[in-house]
Amino acid sequence: MAHTPRRLALLALVAVAALAFSVSFGASGIGPGELWGALAGSGDPTTRSILLQLRLPRAALAALVGGALGLSGCTFQALLRNPLAEPYVLGVSGGAAVGAVAVVVSGLGVVLPWTLPAGAFLGALAAMALVLEVARRASPGRMDMRVLILSGVIVGAFFNAVILLLLSLADVESFRSAIFWMMGNLSGADWGSTGLLALLLVPGALAVLSLARAFNLLSRGEEVAFYLGASVQRVKLTAYTAASLMVAAAVAAGGVIGFVGLIVPHAVRLAWGNDHRLLLPASFLAGTAFLLLADTVARLVVAPAELPTGVVTAVAGVPFFVALLLRGGRR
Amino acid sequence: MRDRAPPGEWRPALRGRDLSFTHRRAEEAAVRGVSLAVSPGTLLAVVGPNGAGKTTLMRLLSGSLPPQQGGVTLDERPLSSFADRERALAIAVVPQSESSPFPVTVREMVGMGRYAHLSPWERYGTRDRALVDQAMARCAVAEFADRQLSGLSGGERQRARIARALAQEAPVLLLDEPTAGLDLRYRMELFHLLRQLRSAGLAVLVITHDLNLAARFADRLLLLDRGRPLARGTPDEVVARASLEAVYDWPLRVVPHPGPGSDTGAPQTVPLRRDEA
Repeated sequence: MAHTPRRLALLALVAVAALAFSVSFGASGIGPGELWGALAGSGDPTTRSILLQLRLPRAALAALVGGALGLSGCTFQALLRNPLAEPYVLGVSGGAAVGAVAVVVSGLGVVLPWTLPAGAFLGALAAMALVLEVARRASPGRMDMRVLILSGVIVGAFFNAVILLLLSLADVESFRSAIFWMMGNLSGADWGSTGLLALLLVPGALAVLSLARAFNLLSRGEEVAFYLGASVQRVKLTAYTAASLMVAAAVAAGGVIGFVGLIVPHAVRLAWGNDHRLLLPASFLAGTAFLLLADTVARLVVAPAELPTGVVTAVAGVPFFVALLLRGGRR
Repeated sequence: MRDRAPPGEWRPALRGRDLSFTHRRAEEAAVRGVSLAVSPGTLLAVVGPNGAGKTTLMRLLSGSLPPQQGGVTLDERPLSSFADRERALAIAVVPQSESSPFPVTVREMVGMGRYAHLSPWERYGTRDRALVDQAMARCAVAEFADRQLSGLSGGERQRARIARALAQEAPVLLLDEPTAGLDLRYRMELFHLLRQLRSAGLAVLVITHDLNLAARFADRLLLLDRGRPLARGTPDEVVARASLEAVYDWPLRVVPHPGPGSDTGAPQTVPLRRDEA
């Protein structure tokens, strides 16, 4: 535990460096030199507007979405006592996707762009409430995690079926936009969506961080956690609600960006162990840094076109994770 | 929480009255009409055959199972009226087994015993760290303090779990088969430790299959059979050939412990081989 502040400071530094890197590079070719000028209030107006209205909000959004996915992934792993858990395991992404795809396919998204994140957010909330309700009815009086997983997987599968149904009815253009949204895409970033996401994230993140000790206990099993003083049912409900809300907000803002929420907490676990007092904040910071770098790559590799960010996180994340696993195995 | 009387002053008794519990989808009650007191300064051993209801009884007493009939009180107050953290300050439990998908070090694990004493954002203080070190030393796991739990033997892990319960500093201690996986030396060490704790005023309940150690160390024994208390009292009153043969359905003899030592004469149970009976 003595290492905790130093390790978190190190990660925060990495995240800030990733932020600076992400803002400094882009399709327009404006480089780091002009950036600092623009921030200081000088430089030419076009450059300023590219930096302040395009790159900065996008980097801020990537930072928040990455952090939210890292933190909620870590939370779901602790809650379900399952290292394979990730933010989308309980159907939240499926619900969000149904909402988003419905908006795209109906044509509403073209007329009123804000309905896309709104639809995704409402879909995610609906999925979250449905999963919880099914789990509560199937295990009255207590929240049984095995029932919650089953309920999440089944609700998720149903939503996937609905997505397929909607897509099969869609025209080619909306089909393409819907698929791009589902791959995870940060190109819609502006200050409004970023600010809204930040507002939604703060309470969820604080709630989850305050449960760090309870997660340490919970990972020893519910009975042991009870004996050591955890309010098991309350912790589970709070963790589920807070993490699902963070995922809902992140998915509404950036689509279904995969692998961040699975890989980032594991990378931190492998490097620094399983004390959630370090693990939770570290997963947030590492998720931030990882998604900032991935999104910068997504913007640059096929410039002036862009890759969906989720493609980069998947392609880059898997080899990175395998390397970590191999290193962990040697130790 | 920090300004309550230093632990060590408070010596409550844990009482169960007329406890009954039937598990879901079970045909028979696991515990039926058991009353007992776990009193300060007493080491109580609960013995009985597999399936006698020992673990269910302990879970009822610890609050993790709400009794379907009867009630549990701690310090004359209903246990259900205690908040979770407050209860953990009073009762420490070493359950039969536990596992985790996420490995931790021995020190982290024993440190969890201090959580009930800390608010969510509070850091370990000097006293917390000292108590963790002390608990690890008492259970002979200090030398593994910074090793992963998963790399230790079953007995070493068991000792770490007992150390965690000690770090909890609770005046009532409940242990479910704590000697499982421990070798001869550490079984003896454990019962000596329980004896010390009891002499320091703790109320200790231990579930065990080791009738002989129970008879040598415990102040009182409770013999359970099919959920019912069959005998209770001092070792001499409970460890008797006729009742044990009936409960375990196996031929045996009871002989006095040869000594030397203060436990000379304690009734020792020797099960017979089939061909000796």
